[in-house]
Amino acid sequence: MGLRWGKKRPVSEENMAAVRHTSLIAGSYGRLLFCALILLSQPALASDWREPETQLAEEIVHVNGPGVISLEINNRSSISAAAVEEIRRALVSLLASRGVRVWLADQATSDVKIFFSENLENYVWVAEIRQGSGDLRVVLVSSPRSRPTPTGGNLTPLRIEVSALISQPSPILDAAIVEGRPQRLIVLGRTVVALYEFRQGRWAVFETLPIHTTNPLPRDLRGRIILRRDHLFDAYLPGLTCRSTASTALSITCLPGDEAWPIETADTGVSAFFSRTQNFFTGALVPGIGKQTTAPAFYCAARIPQPNYTLWLFTGVEGEINILDGVNHEVMRGVGWGSDIAGTRASCRSDRQVLVTSPASEGADSLEAYGLSNGTPVPLSQKLSLSGPVTALWTAQNGDSVTAVYRNLQTGDYEAVQLKLACSQ
Amino acid sequence: MKRFSSSLLVASSIACAAVASAASRPHYGGTLRVQMRDTPQVLDPASFSSPACRSLWRLVFETLVELDQHGRPQPLLSASWQSEPGNQRWRFLVRSGVLFHGGEALEAAAVVASLRNGNPEWKVLQDRDTVVIETNSPDPDVPAKLALARNAIARPEGGHLGGTGPFAITEWVAGRRLRLAANPTYRGGQPFLQAIDVEFGKAERDQLMALDLGNADVAEIAPEDIARARAQNRRVLDSLPGELMALVFAHDARAPGEALVRSALPFILDRRAMSDVVLQGGGEPADALLPNWLSGYAFVFSSAANAAPARQPRPETPQGSPLLLAYDGSDPVSETIAQRILLNARDRGVAIQIASSSGSSDVRLMRVPLASMAAPVALDELARSLGLARPPSTTSSIADLYSAEKAMLESGRLIPLLELRTAVALGPAVNGWSMLPDGTRGLENVWLVRERP
Repeated sequence: MGLRWGKKRPVSEENMAAVRHTSLIAGSYGRLLFCALILLSQPALASDWREPETQLAEEIVHVNGPGVISLEINNRSSISAAAVEEIRRALVSLLASRGVRVWLADQATSDVKIFFSENLENYVWVAEIRQGSGDLRVVLVSSPRSRPTPTGGNLTPLRIEVSALISQPSPILDAAIVEGRPQRLIVLGRTVVALYEFRQGRWAVFETLPIHTTNPLPRDLRGRIILRRDHLFDAYLPGLTCRSTASTALSITCLPGDEAWPIETADTGVSAFFSRTQNFFTGALVPGIGKQTTAPAFYCAARIPQPNYTLWLFTGVEGEINILDGVNHEVMRGVGWGSDIAGTRASCRSDRQVLVTSPASEGADSLEAYGLSNGTPVPLSQKLSLSGPVTALWTAQNGDSVTAVYRNLQTGDYEAVQLKLACSQ
Repeated sequence: MKRFSSSLLVASSIACAAVASAASRPHYGGTLRVQMRDTPQVLDPASFSSPACRSLWRLVFETLVELDQHGRPQPLLSASWQSEPGNQRWRFLVRSGVLFHGGEALEAAAVVASLRNGNPEWKVLQDRDTVVIETNSPDPDVPAKLALARNAIARPEGGHLGGTGPFAITEWVAGRRLRLAANPTYRGGQPFLQAIDVEFGKAERDQLMALDLGNADVAEIAPEDIARARAQNRRVLDSLPGELMALVFAHDARAPGEALVRSALPFILDRRAMSDVVLQGGGEPADALLPNWLSGYAFVFSSAANAAPARQPRPETPQGSPLLLAYDGSDPVSETIAQRILLNARDRGVAIQIASSSGSSDVRLMRVPLASMAAPVALDELARSLGLARPPSTTSSIADLYSAEKAMLESGRLIPLLELRTAVALGPAVNGWSMLPDGTRGLENVWLVRERP
């Protein structure tokens, strides 16, 4: 509840951290990263606080009237000290323009204490005003709180680069970038496929295609967008496959059924059947890996090509990692990996790596890059800490990047980001 | 063809039957065994006030609206809503395709019947697939109020109430046992758990013993034991301090002496010692009705209270008229705090006695859980629980909320003492458990990983 102002988000230490982090990022995602940087850095502008500053100043003037006041600032919120100082300066200026001068306490006719506080949804700014020995008067204003963004670890020998895509309150099952001019983004949700265009430094939705289904979808819902050459995309959901048209008047047709989903990327040529009512692949592979046409039921799969064959890693529903090479099946336990893995390749290396989830703290996950050395998983990056649990992790169409979705525990929103591995200096 | 190196097999041999929880996807199946202190006698959502009971009814019964983690209303059984200018008439479109556990479709008529029961002050009407709510005065918080437990949508089914939630009731023994089974056709997806068994009326210490013996998956922890449980390295989840413990006077002061005692009590009672020593950090001193994390301004009342003691005279209790204090004798926390109140009062020469019955008391020590994560609604419900009048407001502004709470505090009818935390200890198999700041448990996404023998 409370008052709402504007669309800009106020500055916070998290935003600043995100800006510092993203400013380190460079590479082939230059434009996308630059745009993400712009989006993330916008809240850092001092003018974001203008409306609450103005309103609080007006409230103080309304109660106190023109005159000389002393001003004390107390910060009980997550607003950074630097931002608080900027707000204080702005308030002093706004008050002066309305006939209220801030001066030393022994020469002031009123004492004003300002508290920066916060509740679940808003920043709450409180001013306690005491004129001489009179009663304490209290005025309050509120302003929506900001959201934190992921923070990356240090960068040796590979670093995980993060590009923010979109954020929304409803679940994001997958997101795929369509290269071109303009760049497009296809976002698969629970009941809709949304299409975005990258214009003027941000993703803007230009079309939404509803998904019609009569059957309940599973609770831990998963889904996949696969870009196609003869039409724009296929969307896979448990018990449901949706196909877009090839024409410019875009639409989708969804049919119930158990069509196998491509695993990792469509180019691998390997697909797997997904459970209609639960959250995992049944283990049946089409056409299979070498001679192997089944794996234990699994959540995710990633491949790591070797000189003469390809190793496939499957995160099993019992917490184990199953490794198939077309002939052999080995089981690896106790490596501390989560359910989600996705294959990718660092731009500076010829071999492939996997990005792996693992528990971080307080229900949040982290991501880490691994490679295989003599068949043993070897960590290749520092952990990227996210602000919540990963809900989707898929290899992008080109095989060189990964789309991750996590649920931000502080905002409750689903945040889609694109991840790429780059070599440290 | 052997393609795996021996080092891989070494890695494989570091066997670990349990899987990491946070980054693991949920598993399906299993029965969650829950023990609770509460002893609900009626399976009626309107009677479920504690966060623990509310957590259970949410599994069975749903509301037109739910609150997200920021306390903002979101659609649940209502697909959308709108208000007419003035916020006195609201229209809620009932979601189509929703089924009660018995198989009947949810219709607006059933919603109207449920809402009329819980809100006699509202005029609730049906307009085809829309429910119309008219209030006596402008009320911007109607959507948030519809998320309250008493506004759950239910209908009689097979001898008890049926809902539309992810679990259905399969067994109910009043005050003793509740068994829930997963609703496989739930529109939000089949729950991960197959069933939930709840045993009521278990003391917290017995619950912990059951947890340690592997006979329960979840145990409640009393506020004063939260710190100890953490020190024992248990898996503890606790809420923010939010359950209000307050002294509530049965009537206005009837004599000047009594009024003086009432005004002095906040400064006689050592709330810091109650929270830090008696409850071992399981609560925090309260000067406000709503916790600061919900209102954002509670500290204003604290600073006002802290400024006042110097001006307070030493109270004198009128001869032969001690204050009679009542509390819930079955609640160890209330008993401990009541004893501390008597001690503080005696040290300052104020006569307070335990009342022989609650009917004869002057003041009651009450525990009131937060009913909502929407601050204006939480304050409304608090006033309702305490029998106080909540000043009407026509907006949801933070300034109006503050004014209303200030007026309630200045009524002289209650003295906030503490905000208590609620906590649970989880067994090793439990995953996906969440706890909202107000202590409501998120059971709908819980899943189990049992260790294999």
